[in-house]
This record gives sequence, structure tokens and C-alpha cells, in this order.
Amino acid sequence: MTTTDQLNGAQKASVPAPTYLPLTGSLLLTFRELWAMKITQGIVLVSTLAWILLSFAMNLDVVEGSLAAVRIFGFDAGADELVKDPQTGEFVRQAISVDKFIVGISSFVFGAAYFLGTLLGLFATMPLIGGFLEQGRIDLLLSKPLSRNRLLSGHLLGVLLTVLALSTYLILGVWMALSIKTGIWIPKMLTSIPLIVVMFAVMYSVIFTLSILTRSTGLALIIAYGLIFISAILAAHEQLTPVLSPSAAFVYNSFYHLLPNFIEVVAIQAKLVTGEAVTSWYPFFSSVAFGSVVYGLGYFWFNRKDF
Amino acid sequence: MESAVSTHGLAKTYSSTFGKTKIEALKGVDIEVQRGEIVGILGPNGAGKTTLLKILLGVVSPTAGHASIFGKPIGDANARQRLGYLPENHRFPPYLTARQTLDVYGRLSNLDDAYRKEHIPRLVEEAGLADWMDTRVGKFSKGMMQRLGLAQATLNDPDILVLDEPTDGVDPVGRREIRDRLHVLKSKGKTILINSHLLTEIELICDRVAILNKGLIVRTGSISEIVSEGTGWRIQCRNMPLEFDVKRFGAHIESGNVEQTIVMDGGVTETLNQLIDALRSSDTSILSIEKHRKSLEAGFLDIIDEQGAKK
Repeated sequence: MTTTDQLNGAQKASVPAPTYLPLTGSLLLTFRELWAMKITQGIVLVSTLAWILLSFAMNLDVVEGSLAAVRIFGFDAGADELVKDPQTGEFVRQAISVDKFIVGISSFVFGAAYFLGTLLGLFATMPLIGGFLEQGRIDLLLSKPLSRNRLLSGHLLGVLLTVLALSTYLILGVWMALSIKTGIWIPKMLTSIPLIVVMFAVMYSVIFTLSILTRSTGLALIIAYGLIFISAILAAHEQLTPVLSPSAAFVYNSFYHLLPNFIEVVAIQAKLVTGEAVTSWYPFFSSVAFGSVVYGLGYFWFNRKDF
Repeated sequence: MESAVSTHGLAKTYSSTFGKTKIEALKGVDIEVQRGEIVGILGPNGAGKTTLLKILLGVVSPTAGHASIFGKPIGDANARQRLGYLPENHRFPPYLTARQTLDVYGRLSNLDDAYRKEHIPRLVEEAGLADWMDTRVGKFSKGMMQRLGLAQATLNDPDILVLDEPTDGVDPVGRREIRDRLHVLKSKGKTILINSHLLTEIELICDRVAILNKGLIVRTGSISEIVSEGTGWRIQCRNMPLEFDVKRFGAHIESGNVEQTIVMDGGVTETLNQLIDALRSSDTSILSIEKHRKSLEAGFLDIIDEQGAKK
């Protein structure tokens, strides 16, 4: 532990200065900046509305494990579905099971959280890294007695903890509202939270590193969104690879293994929500590997760069 | 005595992304700053002043040479603990209040809760911002931001203060307050490095200046040394005959029809006396004689021009 007494001479009062403090300063700066953004406040508002709607505005009538009626704000929202009768081959109306209802609602909310949360999250955090790297701000931060790695980690940790808090607020809130209402608790659904945070972190690595390298946050965002779009094409690798020429297939597969598989991970998330077994975690782990390498490059450049 | 700041052969070359363009910002700078000195770093735009300061702060890495703060290499976190910095055009997050700004930067400077709680209100008050303590800095004027910036730079009670354009955008009253604050800090034994374009400010604040031009230190010296070069006399007089030749005394007439001002640059007292005798014998009324001292700005420009002529 250092003291300002040691650092500044004997004439000063001895003030214990724990070494974690600079990191908390960097974290606090990121939290406050994110909270000051209207988009963050908007996400909190929408999340609050989602679980308030599920908690208070929706009434479920459950009869023998099936939904007899669903009412939203007192209006009948329909509690049945069209199902093909295996004997007659005709479509008949049948009450939805409560489990299926929960899974359906959760899939919708958590899927929206995954897609919209990531897209909005990247959009919201783009100006944050831009502000962090701005002249007049970064030079002051770098003059402080903490290493560049710790300064950058404070920023990154602040962003990821905020995304964790926002996704937990939405998903835990929706999950609890549904579980309390129906009496059916499916804890597996909560695995969506770490999945969203990790995949956000993977995509944020692109904005993070490209912003450090080019100082153009707009370009970094476009490339991050571009990679999400490309991941939709890469998700069809099982169908596309057989019809491609060997050289084209090689290039295509290289991209599949090197780039993040954002869209394929949504299928993993859906399986986690519905309780199905996940057959392959490869898209998730290859995405994490991509993010790790890109973050490594970001830290490397940040340490070498003159500001 | 240990120097507060010491650099030897400090050089910096900026390269473009693919290394096609190279700019030599510093070409081997040697400078020693003693503890308790206020030193002004002067130079035209692009001379390398900000690069020099940023290298000392660890924001920019030198290409060659080395620098130390109280004998510790500049990359050392303990060395940076003893520094306070006010960057040019600093940008505090606009959503933070004055108190929150100092709290966050205090944390980043490794200052604990008790220290921050005790010193932040005092510094805000000294900066004349007590009534604005809990106002978002986004609403602050440029002058208020500069004063808050100075409070931030002195929050950790640094031994060395590095100020890049500290009076930029500040009104005359605010500038005087900043000057007074710097004199107080000097009296406490602080070492201060100032980069400013306002040479009148530098003249009023600094003990010594280092003039940088094209990446090299071209002159260092006390303010009196710089401004004494070219010292002369100013003689104000009336009714001087038109045919009176001042040039033979190494002087020139600066202005006036009825009342004239004769300027003698670098003249010796003997020549002055000869000029006075000649004026008196031509029935010229001498109104005043004063020692003519060159301003720092004139001294600075002469040195830069001299460097340009040498090329």
C-alpha cells in the first residue's frame, strides 16, 4: 500500500491510498457516462414496461396445466393455438400448455434482448469509447498513476457490468413475473443472461479495437454490424458448403471459423430457453476466441499508441 | 541537487499508419528544470512543445533519448503520482458536476475517500466555483472549466504541475486569479512547467523560459536574460529640428510630429550622453528619458527570426 506521505514528501499528511482506487475511478466514469445516455435510460424504461406488463396487465387463467384464457389490460388475448390433428389431418383449436406459453413469451423477450440488446448496446457504447479516446480526455487519463492496461480494463469492465445489469434487469424481471404468475419456475432460462453479455462482449471487441486503431467509432460500428450481417450468411454453412466450389468453400469455411457466429449463437440461446439439448457449442466458443484475439490486439495497440 | 525534470537527447518522430509520412516533432531535447522553478515552454505552432510535455507525462513515447521526473523514469507510475496536469482544451465529461469530476479524477490519482472529502470542497472554493459545486460542468463557461481544470491538476498536491495553455479563454480577472494561484504554488516549492501562447502571461509568471523551434531548444534563460538582449533607451522630446540626424547615434525615431520618441537599441551610456548633448544644443526639449526594455514577445520573435535567418 502506498501513501501520499511516501509519494509527496514528509510535509504532507499520511493518506492511505489503496491501489484499487484508480480502477474504481475508471469504472465510475464509465457507469456515469452510460447512465447519462438517453439510450441506456430508454432500455431501462422498456425493460420496466415489459415486466410491469407481464406482472400487472396480464391475467392468466390456468385450468389443469393449460391456459384457459389470457387477458391483457382486461382484453382477451387468446389462449389457444391451431394444432394439426394427427388422426383427421385437420387443424383444430387447442388450449396452450402453461409451459409452452412461458417458453414462447421467454423466447420472444430473450431473443429480442439478444438481438436488440446487442445492436442497441453497441450503438449506445460507441460514443463512449469515442469520448474516452478524445483529445483532452485521454491524455489527462493517461497522465494518472495507473497503467494503460488498468485504465482500459476499467472502461471495458464498466461497459460489460452495465450490459450485465441491464440484461439481468430485463430477463430476471420477466422470468420472475412469469414464474410468480404461473407457479412454474424454469431456472435454465436465466442462462440467457451470461450468453447475452458474452456475445455482446465479443461484438464490442470490434468497436473497442477498431476505435483505438482508427479513432473512427462510426467505422467501427459499421464493421461490427457488418459482422453480424455476415454471421447470418455464415449460419447457413451446412447448406451452402456442399454447393460451393472447393476454393470458394475453403474461403467460406475460413470465415466461418475465424469470424464471430452471432446468429448461430441465437439458436443455442433458443435451445437453452426451451430446454432442448445444445448439440454444439462450437459457434459460441469460436466467437469467444475471436473476441479474445481482437481484445488482445486492442490492448496491444492501446499500449503502443501516442495520444 | 536532484532535478525535478531532466531530459537528454529526447526525440520523437511521428509516423503515419503505414510509415509513409514521418514528422520529427522533437530532435534531441536536453532540458533541466530545478525544484521550485516556474519554466515557460515557448515556441511557434508545431515547435514540439505539447509533444515534450506529453512525453514527460507518459502520454507519448519518445523515439530516442530519455527523461526523468525526480530521478525516476517517466513511465514509472510513482513518478506520475507526483504530477498534476492540465491539458490544452481538456474535456471533462459534461454530465458530471464539479464535485463528481474532482472525485473521479481523485480516484484515478489514487487519493482515498477521506483525502478527497477533505480537499475537494476546499479546491472548488479556491477555484471560485463553490456556488457551482453541484452543477454539471457541461454548463460551465470556458473560464470556469479552466479553473476547474487547475483544481483537478492540483488535487493530488503534486510536486510538478504541467499546464498546457492554462489561461486560454480566461478573462483578465480570471487570468490574474490563475497567476496568483500559481505564485502561491511556487511559494510552496512546486515546480511548474507552462506551455502558453500568451507571452505576457509567461513574462508575469515564469522564472525561466525554454524556447523550442522545429523540435530543438534554441534558447533557455531567465526572462531578464531574454528581454535584456537589445536593451536601450527611449527619449521623449519636443521641437526637435527636422534635420536632426539620430541615425549617427544608432537610434531611430519611432513616432510623433510635435513630440517625438527616439529609440536607441542597445546603446551604451556614453552614446546616450552624446545624443542628449546634441539634442540640447539643437534647442530640443527633452521630456523624459527611460530605459527601454524589450518585451518577452519581441525577444521571442527576434530569437525565432534569428533561427530562420540561420537556415
